[in-house]
Amino acid sequence: MSVTGLYLGRPEDLSKLFSGLLHLGYEVIGYKVVDNVLRLVNVRNFSELAKDIEDLQAPGKYRIQRGDFFRHGPDSPKKFLYPSELKLFTVMGDWSIRYPEVDEVKLAFFGIKPCDLASIKVMDRVQGVIGDEYFKLLRSNLVLIVENCTRPASTCFCATMGTGPRAKNGFDLSYTRIGDKLVVEAGSELGVKLLNLMDVVPIDNVTYREFEDVMCKAYMAARADFTTDNLPEVLELGINSSVFTDVASRCLGCANCNLVCPTCFCFDVVDVPRLDGSADRVRVWDGCLNYTYAMVAGGHFRPDIWARYRHFVLHKFAYWIKQFGVFGCVGCGRCITWCPVGIDLRETVSRIFKEVKSGG
Amino acid sequence: MVKLSSMLTPRPSLVVGVRVETSNVRTYYVKLPEDVNLPKPGQFDLLYIHGVGEVPISVSDIYYDKRIVAHTVRFVGSVTKTFAYIREGDIIGFRGPYGNGWPLYLCEGKDLVIIAGGIGLPPLRPVIREVARNRAKYNKLIIVYGARNPKELIYRYEYVDYESIPNTELYLTVDAPDETWRGNVGVVTALLPKINLRPDNSIAFICGPEIMMKYAVKELLNMGFKGNQIFLSLERRMRCGVGLCGHCQMGPYFICKHGPVFPFWFIDRYFWVDQI
Repeated sequence: MSVTGLYLGRPEDLSKLFSGLLHLGYEVIGYKVVDNVLRLVNVRNFSELAKDIEDLQAPGKYRIQRGDFFRHGPDSPKKFLYPSELKLFTVMGDWSIRYPEVDEVKLAFFGIKPCDLASIKVMDRVQGVIGDEYFKLLRSNLVLIVENCTRPASTCFCATMGTGPRAKNGFDLSYTRIGDKLVVEAGSELGVKLLNLMDVVPIDNVTYREFEDVMCKAYMAARADFTTDNLPEVLELGINSSVFTDVASRCLGCANCNLVCPTCFCFDVVDVPRLDGSADRVRVWDGCLNYTYAMVAGGHFRPDIWARYRHFVLHKFAYWIKQFGVFGCVGCGRCITWCPVGIDLRETVSRIFKEVKSGG
Repeated sequence: MVKLSSMLTPRPSLVVGVRVETSNVRTYYVKLPEDVNLPKPGQFDLLYIHGVGEVPISVSDIYYDKRIVAHTVRFVGSVTKTFAYIREGDIIGFRGPYGNGWPLYLCEGKDLVIIAGGIGLPPLRPVIREVARNRAKYNKLIIVYGARNPKELIYRYEYVDYESIPNTELYLTVDAPDETWRGNVGVVTALLPKINLRPDNSIAFICGPEIMMKYAVKELLNMGFKGNQIFLSLERRMRCGVGLCGHCQMGPYFICKHGPVFPFWFIDRYFWVDQI
């Protein structure tokens, strides 16, 4: 929720915001081009942040080229808040337990898009009251600087999922770059403080209309071919649909979609025994597309790839609502881009939608 | 610096006894740490072998006064196979109990039908114990148990005790008999129609391989059982036990926290779906 309304500044002001965050003791996480891919990394200088580039995203395709607006890469805030490998504790030889000590870091995400902001809110719901301690520790000091998405990629469908292209609430500060103008709004007390570091004036009518225009166009561009009305019910009615088997015939079961998904939370815990007689218990990401995911020693609950793919789709759009009261999908489109064979989640959902509605 | 903790922390617990059940099944009697709750019949615990891993094992017996809980383990996976090395006096990690147990309060004054297959009997044994202990509370007890072959029947040494519980019938069957076998041959579900069940006043508890449970439910529904008279204990790959790791999902349910015991009507929508 905006607490200040919209203000007008210049894109150069972002560097003041950046140094302001460093000054307040935050570790700033932002997008940087590494090996021709946008990665979310710890950034110490404003100049390190990606600029004058654009990411081309299409099913199974990702390229970086010169441009003036980028969305995201394979990393999402999950990379930091819910790391792929986390030592939970060490069981010593005498069975005493040693918990890891972590620095009390204050993280600030700089320039993430509204879909990723939404993914953090989804993670909040998933972890709930009892959830992951490390997540909750980082979350309690988290600052979110969100850039509204003026040019969604071809794989984006945040407008359909209701998570973008403009951040509505849950951010500290959101900004929108329109040419050489910067439209800013604060969403929290800290956001107001940060806004004061920038050279801004209340927005004028012309810029406001321009801003609304840009956001409307972005909204139109970030829609999928389906709506979320009754989506969980419709998908569950199509639970035996042949669309799943048909789409999954191309699926490699690589679980890339699980890895790049900003909300996928499944984990496994593995033992790492050491020579001194102790053993670390390490939490690692797992994904429902992995062959071993639903395997038990005495059998397998989803031996076929279509069943694992169906679980992925139904979990995001149907089960998640029942489990956590929100959709598990934020419409970032990463699973479409990073799928090596370009399976398009939107297409699967649309096809089932049409099939169920036509009574097929 | 902040010290993290974890709800997945195992508690060191003493193995006070090991009993060999079959060639690859043994029962481990574990003394529970003082501040841990005793389980209810049907709940499960996560047992951890140091440096190897953790497995969900259902509770197969409870000694309330001594705070000892039995876990019957079949050696099939990398962790359970390591259990073969665990001896009396060893320490294993324990956390639990997790999940919901069998709703015994619903069975008072009713016939209780227990249908088990293979390694599905252990989670139902505490139910048999409970009926024996409070015999007057319940009506007839019918136990139907099947295994692949006579050697794989678990707890054979106490079947006499089951039969000596007043107003109790025990039916055993095996798929592949050997020369010593004089009893029924065939799957558990084939045995059901031959037993005189009273669908109007019975509750059925089922645990076994998923395919066996599917046929058993079909059979019971055919006989006239309603969805709220049938309870199933489901199995999945439970890693965390608290609904966070995602592995045990069946449809929207986390079997570890919403189950493992479910009333049939609650899951019937997903139960028949292939590879759900």
